[in-house]
Amino acid sequence: MCKRAVLLTVVIILVVVGLLPVLVMFAKTLVTDGHFSFASYKALFSSGRQWVLLWHTLALSSLTTVLATLIGLPLGILLARTDLPLRRTLAVLFVIPLLIPPYVTAVSWFHILGREGFLSQLLGPAVGARTSGWLFGLPGCVLVLFSTFLPIVILLTMTYLKTVSPHLEEAGKLVGKWPRVLRQITVRLIMPGVLLGAMLVFLLSMGEFGVPTFLRYSVFPVESFTQFSAFYNFEAATAATIPLGVITLGLLAVERIFLRSKTYQLRPAGTDHQFPRIDLGSGRLWLFAIVSVLSFLIVVLPLLALVIESFSLSAFRGAFSRAGDSLVRSLTYAAIGASLLAIVGFFCGYLIHTRSLPLWRGVDSLTIFLFALPSTVIGIGLTTLWNRPSTNLIYATPVIIIFGYLAQYTALTSRITVTSLAQIPPSMEEAAQTAGAAWLRRTGFIIAPLAKRGLIAGWIVGFIFCLRDTGISMMVYPPGHDTFPVRIFTLMANGPPSLIAALCVTLVAATLLPLGILGFAFRQIRSHK
Amino acid sequence: MKVVAALTVIAVLICLSGCGRKGESPERKGEVVVYVSEDQVFSQPILMDFERETGIRVRAVCDTEEAKGTGTMNRLIAEKNNPQADVYWANEPIRAVVLKQRGISTPYFSSNAEGIPDIFKDPDGYWTGFSARARVFVVNKGSRNKPHSIAAYTDPAWNGKAVIANPLFGTTTTHTAALFTLYGDEKAKAFMNDLKKNAVKISTSNGESADLVASGEFAFSLVDSDDATNRMREGRPVEMIFPDQGQGELGCLIVPNAVVLIKDGPNPTNGKKLIDCLLSKETERKLALAACAQIPLHPGVPAPRELKPLDKIKTTEIDYEKVARKMQEIQPFLKDWVGY
Amino acid sequence: MSAVRFESVTKSYSGRPAVENVSLIVEKGERLTILGPSGCGKTTLLRLLAGFLTPDKGSILIDGELVARDGRNLRPAEERKLGMVFQDLALWPHLSVRGNLEFGLKARGLPRLQRRKRILEILRLVQMEASANSRIQELSGGQQQRVALARAIVLRPKALLMDEPLSNLDYDLNLRSREAILRLHGELGFTLLYVTHDRDEAFHIGTRVVVMRHGAVDRIGTPEEIREHFQQVSL
Repeated sequence: MCKRAVLLTVVIILVVVGLLPVLVMFAKTLVTDGHFSFASYKALFSSGRQWVLLWHTLALSSLTTVLATLIGLPLGILLARTDLPLRRTLAVLFVIPLLIPPYVTAVSWFHILGREGFLSQLLGPAVGARTSGWLFGLPGCVLVLFSTFLPIVILLTMTYLKTVSPHLEEAGKLVGKWPRVLRQITVRLIMPGVLLGAMLVFLLSMGEFGVPTFLRYSVFPVESFTQFSAFYNFEAATAATIPLGVITLGLLAVERIFLRSKTYQLRPAGTDHQFPRIDLGSGRLWLFAIVSVLSFLIVVLPLLALVIESFSLSAFRGAFSRAGDSLVRSLTYAAIGASLLAIVGFFCGYLIHTRSLPLWRGVDSLTIFLFALPSTVIGIGLTTLWNRPSTNLIYATPVIIIFGYLAQYTALTSRITVTSLAQIPPSMEEAAQTAGAAWLRRTGFIIAPLAKRGLIAGWIVGFIFCLRDTGISMMVYPPGHDTFPVRIFTLMANGPPSLIAALCVTLVAATLLPLGILGFAFRQIRSHK
Repeated sequence: MKVVAALTVIAVLICLSGCGRKGESPERKGEVVVYVSEDQVFSQPILMDFERETGIRVRAVCDTEEAKGTGTMNRLIAEKNNPQADVYWANEPIRAVVLKQRGISTPYFSSNAEGIPDIFKDPDGYWTGFSARARVFVVNKGSRNKPHSIAAYTDPAWNGKAVIANPLFGTTTTHTAALFTLYGDEKAKAFMNDLKKNAVKISTSNGESADLVASGEFAFSLVDSDDATNRMREGRPVEMIFPDQGQGELGCLIVPNAVVLIKDGPNPTNGKKLIDCLLSKETERKLALAACAQIPLHPGVPAPRELKPLDKIKTTEIDYEKVARKMQEIQPFLKDWVGY
Repeated sequence: MSAVRFESVTKSYSGRPAVENVSLIVEKGERLTILGPSGCGKTTLLRLLAGFLTPDKGSILIDGELVARDGRNLRPAEERKLGMVFQDLALWPHLSVRGNLEFGLKARGLPRLQRRKRILEILRLVQMEASANSRIQELSGGQQQRVALARAIVLRPKALLMDEPLSNLDYDLNLRSREAILRLHGELGFTLLYVTHDRDEAFHIGTRVVVMRHGAVDRIGTPEEIREHFQQVSL
């Protein structure tokens, strides 16, 4: 049947691009000197210290996740559903830290809170010493990662809020005021989205290594990292990622159990029923002040630190001359990556939503597992698999980078697709079936257009993640084809701070500008229809 | 759906058109692939000059600040069976030795290597050193006494006043491994433990060490000469001291860049040309003048003004091959020592 | 040859039978209404016929051809050449009225001129010619009804299935829609299977009425027979 063929093809693509390289790496961990052995795993947990490291990682991830969820959820509601002033601007502001490599954010905070940072220059060295002590360690790491990943929860909350059937809220409003309706109805309904956001934040924090190292908080991934950087021992390095993989699968299981028996009445796609806008009343200005202060603290301040450092035309000129070509490449790769992620993610999401093949659960778990896997492992796996003369067309070209993107980020577009498909009443597809359309036709002409919002959201999310990616790109880019974030990092090594700052500001602009243009274009098209 | 498909097709076409060159034999087109561990800020001008002067297109892979060298070395090792690189520009010789040990490099005796002291070259030609950093003390000017030997680290007079970069990464690893080969395991371990007893602070990098000394928080630190030079040029209150220069003392450890010809690379002829360029006096002159302030190994090339020329420094007699092997041996001890 | 034939069809959900051993013959051109309270299995029966569900036991035949039997769908829904009007109408909001009607015709491979002709024809029949290029959202409830009906019959199906199509309409609209359906049936003569829980609808529309209860056929008869039966039962 056509449906089976297409879905199986997509699964095979996912397996070949994502699973195979990882399997190759893990297979190698079980072979030492030509025979089967667990030697690569012996180093793991041989010292008690590694348990401490694991604890540190869990603490960092948990704190970041809890904070991001507790603040991201109400923020998402405030920005999407209320009459808070300057909602759109604030939403864009909060997204900015996601676009900047967290390592750079950490450096910005160092410029502010460090011993010789702005704060200490303003308020005296004693204050500087205290803020510096506070920055270097768990609190600083949480601050940086929280501000970087908070937008994920906000964006997912805002997206899932659009899927709630307004009738349910209206029914609630008849018997209760908004806070209660929100708490007991709305939030419960968007729980899957919130949980997904929390899981993504947890996984991303868990894999962070650069920031904790800079802020001197030892975390578990250091084991894998030192195996790579000091021993060049790929097997031991890969083996060292297993505990993280176990945690990932554990999280998935928790999510499944939690969501298993819940069904959600969703708003039919395509209807543009207006959502009731929550009137904040007297609380409006207070809430606006709080949100503005928050955005100032976690977004504007570090950004300012960057901009002040880069405040010279020569720095920007230097940035463009040193990195202009990589920016164009990055935008191209991100666009291609996002498009392919949207397509592959759509079919994976379709498979998971309709459960058309018995391995649907495996596909979902695989995408999340790959999302959580350190990019170095995926990168070296890709190299090991594809670096052969016969596959030069893949390895020696940017195609390998796209493979990496597909492996690492399909989870995002897949899950977003699942949600948007769930919004489509089954009768839409049934009507198409009755009209005589085979699977491909009705998926292409009925399902996909109805899921358009989700496809676009998925494309944007894919674009952001591909553009900001450093891990995968760094490991596999063909010589001379480096991407912009990688260029930022390579130039960071002893590059003048003004140059680095200029590059980061450019990165933010380079991400927001195309999205802004696309958004503008879409709105024009819609108003012309 | 159609729009997405169309965009994808167009984008793929653009992309492929940009990289279609790989298919033809690159040798004829004049290309060289180099993996670089030297900071890109410094390597980029050199490579661009080479490209301009020879017309050979340079395609580079560089290391990042965050990964501190994970990228290039791991790629070279992972690509062993189908090498993509022609040349490796290492920022210290240990990596070059590792490549030799793993059979990834191939010997090449460049004519421009003449004049470079033998100690900075592999006798079999697998790597050649150039443009070096020295491991020096950066000392805060406000400090009454000045350290002159690395033994200062274990001197109780300096308790809590010294800082050193994490010996698991970078040149500090090299230096620590060098000490192990020079002192022998027992004495070296005792030295490291005494460091701990003397409340020596561990920083994340040489740069950070230099900043801590410049701010006055600590009196001195062992860093690379370019870190010290940078702070001096910024006008910070620090000075540079070459350690162990006295009679019978160890001398100052020199860490040169090293250039390696990769075995079975795609463009060996151009690779050799690039190596010749990197080993030239002209390159050393440029790197000495640049902010990285590296010491030329060719006699007669002027050193950066804050530093002494090579022939005026008592350098440590060292076998980099031994150091490379020792480095891998002492990793477990170091991890334990750092607290991982 | 009958248009539709159910032979001892059974379908269960999680152990409980939704349709139990139902046998039914629908003659060509007749209007059969299936009446019963919610949960009696009438919608399930319709969906089994449409091909969205597979009977656990028994056979389903359309125009004499076996389309499903004992746990296997021998003909998928898209090949059964039936027309269906859904309870929520399921009109595709991203397509215009014309687009909704054209979709099935395109799937069939009809050339453009023929498509235009058929669409014009059907729009005239339901009195919606003026709205050919309107968006679904711009139409009133009654207009959407007519489009849904038009979409179902533009393909000249072997049988038309209607699943409680008028339950959302007000009384006047409901009556007028019933008249429209009857008029269309008179002109085109299709076989009609009409599911409802409303007695008036059932008696008005059907030439034969099937009463279902708890998944099984309770009674079959003409509207008069069934009405009488109900009167007797309530006494």
